[in-house]
Amino acid sequence: MITLRINGENRTVDAAADVPLLWALRDLLGLTGTKFGCGIAQCGACTVHLDGKAVRSCMLPISSIGDRAITTIEGVGKTPIGASVQKAWLDLEVVQCGYCQSGQIMSAAALLAVTPNPDDADIDAAMSGNICRCGTYVRIRAAIKLAAKATSG
Amino acid sequence: MTTLRAQSGAAAVRTLIVVALVALLGLIVYLARAVSGGPMDFAERGTAPAAGYSGADPTGVPAELAGASLTARGEYLTRAADCEACHTSNGGQRFAGGRAFVLPIGTLFSPNITPDADTGIGSWSDADFLRAVHRGIARDGTRLYPAFPYASYTYLSDNDVAAIKAYLFSLPPVRAVAPANTLAFPFNQRWLMALWSSMFNPDRRFSANAAMSPQWNRGAYVAEALEHCGECHTPRNLLQALNHRKKYAGGTIDGWHAYNITGDKESGVGAWSDSELAQYLSAGHASGHGTAAGPMAEAVDVSLHYLTQADIDALAAYVRSVPAIASSDVPARLAGPAPASHSQGVTAGIDPRGKEIFEGACVGCHGWTGVSPLTPYATLIGARAVNDPSAMNVVQVLLDGERRGNDPADPFMPSFQGAYSDTEIAAVANYVVARFGSQPSKVTPEQVAARRQQARSSGT
Repeated sequence: MITLRINGENRTVDAAADVPLLWALRDLLGLTGTKFGCGIAQCGACTVHLDGKAVRSCMLPISSIGDRAITTIEGVGKTPIGASVQKAWLDLEVVQCGYCQSGQIMSAAALLAVTPNPDDADIDAAMSGNICRCGTYVRIRAAIKLAAKATSG
Repeated sequence: MTTLRAQSGAAAVRTLIVVALVALLGLIVYLARAVSGGPMDFAERGTAPAAGYSGADPTGVPAELAGASLTARGEYLTRAADCEACHTSNGGQRFAGGRAFVLPIGTLFSPNITPDADTGIGSWSDADFLRAVHRGIARDGTRLYPAFPYASYTYLSDNDVAAIKAYLFSLPPVRAVAPANTLAFPFNQRWLMALWSSMFNPDRRFSANAAMSPQWNRGAYVAEALEHCGECHTPRNLLQALNHRKKYAGGTIDGWHAYNITGDKESGVGAWSDSELAQYLSAGHASGHGTAAGPMAEAVDVSLHYLTQADIDALAAYVRSVPAIASSDVPARLAGPAPASHSQGVTAGIDPRGKEIFEGACVGCHGWTGVSPLTPYATLIGARAVNDPSAMNVVQVLLDGERRGNDPADPFMPSFQGAYSDTEIAAVANYVVARFGSQPSKVTPEQVAARRQQARSSGT
């Protein structure tokens, strides 16, 4: 049994130590907002936060998390930055098919937490690992800048 | 009379020339042996005779297997001698051979050592097998190339070789003929290996060093006779024999650097703790020292991983006793973590595509600092590969990918062979070394293309 702190709550899972966090979230805890894309940390669809930093949950064994705080797409809206990212996403109608967008929002919120006013290079550095096959990249970039303006005032 | 005298004079001259040639050959053999030295020469034997050694027998299997069957003992020894790595082709059946060794002089293929009578070694007697392992001579009398490390295996005891054969003969025979070697003249002349053997194969069994501890002696047996560590980690001379005077100072194998494992604190493993060294040997990873890849990962997975803790500790103790030699393949100071921000720590003059690829494909696991947010196996800081200004091993890992252990859930890195061009692989390798190493690298697309070509030829 491994206890994980997810979106502020302690959740216990009965799983082997090397099970990736993504499997625990989706299959054992029913938190299906986080998506499975490639399974090899190459697409970003499974991005969650560990202590506020964006990580790929598909390659993260649950035994290596310890007491670090996990935030998923279900919980990110409770933070001011997460809320403003989600609002910017809606305001600019970023989403097309939507499959990658949980990961996009998680990466964007982690970026703004460290870099409140990111330039294009900062956005590239933080978001290049999040692939969108609908090609919403232009709207993602605009929404990140909109959210930055809203949060930094 | 005159003719007769002239004839006998000419015969005398001929005899003299032959004697001189034989003497010269003998001198060359003597000098070659003296110059390259023996693998355990570094350890003084003192005045104690071998018979004075009173510890446990350093040969054979560990205590846990003392009462085991011959085949069970043979299985342990076969694993410890890492026969499988070379005698199994990529995706092929164990021990059925056919693995390619791509050398500048042509390609060698390992033979089938399953007990198939026609294509394997099923018709070999114990004496045939012993002669091959100790002296590099096949059943039909042909000489074997020293890619088969008989100059190391020669230290195996007769009993251990017999146990290895018993294990191999307990396995199902596999009908498989390895492709023919493609060595160019004069390297295709197998008889030349008789000359090579006379110079570089000591043809001598392991004998305990009474001046050293039982643990050291066991470690020496495991390292020299079984695991043959020096075959990759000791540099070679012009005739491709190990130069034991630079023992464990680092070599190259299959396009990979096998780094310095002497006790040198900077370029070797002298600064590693005992437990780090033991952990690296048995698991292919130690915190702060990177993760084994390529041929070392293979050695861990099919061989070292199966050694008992006592054997791993003995091996580590023996490696520790090898004199420190500073080498220049890796800078003396390994770099610490890189800055957390993507905009800092990047040196000028790097192809910008390197960073573009890194931020898309690599940063998720390796982080901007080089300390992985996911698993210590993916931490680059402290790994010699990213500090190696040739970036040889970085390119190899990018092309091959990497997997630790045999469980699908074990950490792994995908291969980027099909995803990126030679230019892109070179750019990201140079970016990684610039960001996480202490000296920049200058990998060219041509070098990446050559690596790919070599990998294609060897079927890996």
